[in-house]
Amino acid sequence: MKKASALPAGVVFGKPVNLRHLPWLIIVILSVILAELPRTVFPRWVQKYPTGWRLSLADWISAFMHWLTVDAHLGPLTVSGFTRALSFLLDLPLQLASMVLATGVLKGQGSEAVMLFPPVPWFALIIAIAALSWTLRGWRLAVGMTIGFLYLAVFGQWTSAMVTLASVLVAALLSAAGGLALGLLCVRSATFGRLLSPLLDVAQTMPVFAYLLPMLILFGFGPVSAMIATVIYAIPPMVRVTVVAIQGVPDELRSLGSMTGCTRRQMTWRILLPTALPGLMVGVNQVIMLSLNVVIIASMIGAGGLGWDVLGALRRLDIGGGLEAGLAITVLAVMLDRFAQALVPDARRSGPSGSRSHHRVIAGALALAGLLWIAAALWPAIAHYPESARLSTGPFWNDLVSWINIHFHDPLDVIKTFMLLHVLMPVKRFMLALPWPWVVTVVTLAGLWMGGIRLALTVGLMCGFMAVVGLWQPAMITLYLCGVSVVIAMLLGVPVGVIATQRPWLMKSVEVFIDTLQTLPAFVYLIPIVMLFRVGDFTAMIGIVLYAIAPAIRYTAHGISHVPESLIEAGTMTGCTRGQILRRIRLPHALPDMLLGLNQTILLALSMLVITALVGTRDLGQVTYAALSKADVGQGVVAGLCVAFIGMISDRFIRQAIRQPGS
Amino acid sequence: MIRNLLCISLLGGLCLMGRSAIAAPESHDPIKITLNDWTGELITAHIMGDILKKAGYNIDYVPADYLAQFSGMENGDLTVAPEVWATTAQEALQAAVKTGKVEDLGSSGMQAREEWWFPEYMKEKCPGLPNWEALKKCGEVFSTPETDPKGRYLGGPSTWGGHDEERIEALDLPFEVVHAGTDAALFAELKSAYERKAPIILWIYTPHWVPIKYKGEFVEFPRYEPGCYEDPGWGINKDAKYDCGKPYGPIWKAVWSGMKDKWPGAYAIIKNYKFDNKTMGELDARVDLNGEKVEDVAQDWVNKHEDVWKAWLSK
Amino acid sequence: MQHPVLACRKVSRLYGARASEFVTDGHLTTDNVQTLQEAGITPAIFNVDLDIERGKTFVIMGLSGSGKSTLLRCLAGLTPPSAGKILFESKNLFEFSEADLIQIHRHQMGMVFQHFALLPHLTVLGNVAFPLEIQGRPRAEREEIAQRMIRLVGLEGREHRFPAQLSGGQQQRVGIARSLAGDPDVWFLDEPFSALDPLIRREMQAEVIRLQGMLKKTIVFITHDFEEAVRVADRIAIMKDGQVEQVGTAEELLVSPATDYVRAFTRDAPRAHILTARSIMTTSPSAGPFGGEVNATDRVISFARELDASSLPLAVIENNEIIGAIDRTMLLDILIGPETQAVGA
Ligand SMILES: Nc1ncnc2c1ncn2[C@@H]1O[C@H](COP(=O)(O)OP(=O)(O)OP(=O)(O)O)[C@@H](O)[C@H]1O
Ligand SMILES: [Mg+2]
Repeated sequence: MKKASALPAGVVFGKPVNLRHLPWLIIVILSVILAELPRTVFPRWVQKYPTGWRLSLADWISAFMHWLTVDAHLGPLTVSGFTRALSFLLDLPLQLASMVLATGVLKGQGSEAVMLFPPVPWFALIIAIAALSWTLRGWRLAVGMTIGFLYLAVFGQWTSAMVTLASVLVAALLSAAGGLALGLLCVRSATFGRLLSPLLDVAQTMPVFAYLLPMLILFGFGPVSAMIATVIYAIPPMVRVTVVAIQGVPDELRSLGSMTGCTRRQMTWRILLPTALPGLMVGVNQVIMLSLNVVIIASMIGAGGLGWDVLGALRRLDIGGGLEAGLAITVLAVMLDRFAQALVPDARRSGPSGSRSHHRVIAGALALAGLLWIAAALWPAIAHYPESARLSTGPFWNDLVSWINIHFHDPLDVIKTFMLLHVLMPVKRFMLALPWPWVVTVVTLAGLWMGGIRLALTVGLMCGFMAVVGLWQPAMITLYLCGVSVVIAMLLGVPVGVIATQRPWLMKSVEVFIDTLQTLPAFVYLIPIVMLFRVGDFTAMIGIVLYAIAPAIRYTAHGISHVPESLIEAGTMTGCTRGQILRRIRLPHALPDMLLGLNQTILLALSMLVITALVGTRDLGQVTYAALSKADVGQGVVAGLCVAFIGMISDRFIRQAIRQPGS
Repeated sequence: MIRNLLCISLLGGLCLMGRSAIAAPESHDPIKITLNDWTGELITAHIMGDILKKAGYNIDYVPADYLAQFSGMENGDLTVAPEVWATTAQEALQAAVKTGKVEDLGSSGMQAREEWWFPEYMKEKCPGLPNWEALKKCGEVFSTPETDPKGRYLGGPSTWGGHDEERIEALDLPFEVVHAGTDAALFAELKSAYERKAPIILWIYTPHWVPIKYKGEFVEFPRYEPGCYEDPGWGINKDAKYDCGKPYGPIWKAVWSGMKDKWPGAYAIIKNYKFDNKTMGELDARVDLNGEKVEDVAQDWVNKHEDVWKAWLSK
Repeated sequence: MQHPVLACRKVSRLYGARASEFVTDGHLTTDNVQTLQEAGITPAIFNVDLDIERGKTFVIMGLSGSGKSTLLRCLAGLTPPSAGKILFESKNLFEFSEADLIQIHRHQMGMVFQHFALLPHLTVLGNVAFPLEIQGRPRAEREEIAQRMIRLVGLEGREHRFPAQLSGGQQQRVGIARSLAGDPDVWFLDEPFSALDPLIRREMQAEVIRLQGMLKKTIVFITHDFEEAVRVADRIAIMKDGQVEQVGTAEELLVSPATDYVRAFTRDAPRAHILTARSIMTTSPSAGPFGGEVNATDRVISFARELDASSLPLAVIENNEIIGAIDRTMLLDILIGPETQAVGA
């Protein structure tokens, strides 16, 4: 209050204007003017970043990769020899998992391989898992798991699902364990944490396509590369969550550790990890979800499984088939997550769950599963779910999409045309018309104003990078596409989040919906969207919005519903209506959460770019994809870095905004 | 009991191997054939695989992305890429061959054709098709709000190249190119338009099931000659290149260059492998339209045409 | 005289970015708190000298932020002081090797925490046995000891509950049992009862007194509640802004406060419970007559009714000699407080 009145109050159209925002107003007006001016007004180098000034970073990276894979030595071993050895090691757990779940014990390779012992047949696995779930969390989990696995069997997804399950299991375990280890190191050494942090940022935002090629070169074509790519993608949240969870362990418990004479190791394993476990499980949940997110891409480099089925089905335009395989991925994600969460003993639940009869039932069920497995080895015919009892809803979905297409295309087209002509195209034109030096300057100034010289330098350099490597135009298209999508996702997501908190049942169904959207491979719904809206930016936008809306909803709902009860009561006592409580108390209080949601929405939108490239956008996602197709390692990495930088710039700004409330 | 069983299955395996071996293979390591994500390629891969198996080789199929497979072959992680289309992967193949680790084993005998394509019902709305000159007056017919008043031509993924922008310029067509990101998107649009009998003109290639399932024709541009792409003076427009249709191109087979030494026999078989568009189109349709399994269709062909593939072995 | 178990010798602990500038060779370079504060440094404790005697209960008191916890953490070997020495059994606690310090923590020290610090994933039994588990004792042995400790604090029958299923008082009993499981020589309690409600707090204080009667540990007890201090303490140290204002028995603090701060601090103390006959009597004995006799060490509360009822003063006896006398007006002084007397005079 005081601060505002201390400033000379400006008056525009008779209304007082807060002069704090004046610089921004000026910048916006200037931007509009600059964008509307004919291009020829500017000197050439302003219109377009001159090719001569370009940093040939892409070529250097390509050359470096070549050197690394061909000439570089680690002692007596070449680097690629080393990575191949690593890849051999990593292949072992993978093989073990797929032996049990998918291929069985094989002798020999390829078509000469002879199956010595079959993989777990579907009924045995269901019995074993159901029994375990029952001990861990009771019958509800058991029923849930059974239904999930039955879906896989009945809809004919079993074989592929087990291939995917095997690789995701190993990848998720590696990510969780690796993330935990890195997180612990970050806690132990702040320097290490500071060094790792930007790498994590990059790993989280860089499109997978960008590092697929180096991955293939170093680790070879096949499931191992796919797994490593998955781990890179899934590990950052685990590291972050670990750091937060470990640092969140109350000081008293650390003191307890010291007072009882814990060694370092005992401190970690007996005090820190067990008490941080509930927090760590949040990270595990993220790891599982992300691992299943890259199933499609992983299948492109030899992981096979459900991802491959989805691609194949969509290639045949078998939308129903794609959906069923895609839903199988979702089902796997949900089952894996619930099971992993159930593995954590719940201290709040009643004491030891071990009556003798209980144990006997479990032992019996496991023995039965084992016997059935052996039986399947003896009579291979029973091992497979009978073809004739398979269900498929494929034709239904295909017909549904066709029906919508035939009957609702025109009204949908009107919406699309409106959006395209009045929102997307103008924004795109505006963004592309802005001279690059201006944008870099504005971003730097914003950094200076919000966070000081350090932030200004960071964001300014990142922004400049895009011009310097010659990817300014695709970067701007990326910005426009993601920007519009994020705005729309927030416009839809925030109200949905607010409304959902008012009704518990609504919250439940919204949650199911967004969970599905997040784990269902985007390709599955992108193709029907293409049918309805054609190839182009609008389709890409819908895809991005659908994928990125989840955090907008989730964080808003979280923020709104976690306002302290006392604040609400204070509001009620001052005579606020429900609407006023919402506007005056809940929303302001939820603002930091909503900003975090915005941050996540932006990151998800960026990670969706790679997928939307597949329906014909011309942004950085497309550049990375095209680089992949030309085997141009450097270009892919550089474009990937640009995507990562856009994410990091917005992340830095938003974090700064959260740190200074009221701005 | 179990041990007995193991013995039986082991023996069974040996018997199988014994029966199928015609000549002793040079190496029992599996030859890795890539599976890409379109039906024709899957059929080719399985036919090749079945033949190699009959010749006693050990085969492994590896699902792989069409473009990512080249680095797999450079490493020797993959052995055979059964279909490399001149029209879509020429650059990637050339780059791979240049490394010396991938070898181009020549045409499979199939010709890839790709061109602007329209559904049958568009002939009414744009009389004169399939002659390209009809398009000059049909911009409005194919237009959409984004491209209005020009027509919208749905091109392939920008990675496919294709010079459609240049073609439109050179032939002075009232069209604008919109690139699909993948062929799945391409065909999704076709399906959608076809169901509604809506105007569409797009990039289609054969051999593929689309021209079999959907009735339509390729636009007839001035026929491609190398001169058209190199010499502006060629053709109708004396000042521009690309004033013609798209090139036809062979579908090549590519292999890891180590194959020659490791499995010379198999190498020769792949080199001799020949097929034609018509047969492939028929097999394709059996899978995509009749819903038969790829493996069965391939097996069936191999069983029925022993004379054809036996010839490849002996050479 | 026996040497103290723990002792502080000019111990300081500074917090702040520039703290190290003011320390050379383990000594502060300034004796002026002001200088430190101007440099943006918080002297959480400053030049503290203390002796903690074996088998006695030593209470550290002070307002929030006065440095009690920091001092306790230094004494317990958790936080190294910035300057000065902590002597444990006459040896510098922070010159022990890490392994030795671990052994000291395992076998010679135990701590009870303000917020209980129970491990949520372990049962009551697991929590109490935790220190023994860390020592690597065999399961049977540690469970037997833990059971004994659980019985000691009266929690038998709840061994298999998890902390979340216990009330606050019960949780702190677990904390106490755990801190005793390793049979420590020195027992640290950092505001152990301030998270509990008054009734339970009294019960727990009685519990500590009872245990101390049985076990005779050296106790370092932190509280900001003078009444609590009086109940459990042999000696009390009063802290203000990181410095120890005065150390003494409760009575000494009341009768001869070293500073105004100590006086203000003890103003609302239950004087009748603390003061003995000796400290309020007049030493110029009249020859009588006396309404009765009291021992010099008797607390006022124990003879207040008698004094009130009699119209004559009581004689104060030590070694069978009359060393002084108390009359009713003195009782009033105690109840209403010396200040009123000062105003009246
Ligand atoms: N780790 C630390 N970093 C910075 N300052 C600290 C730290 N620990 C304590 N201090 C400061 O030292 C001073 C004394 O803190 P201490 O915790 O010892 O007080 P206390 O007497 O135990 O208070 P309370 O009764 O609230 O527990 C406080 O001003 C506190 O801010
Ligand atoms: Mg404290």
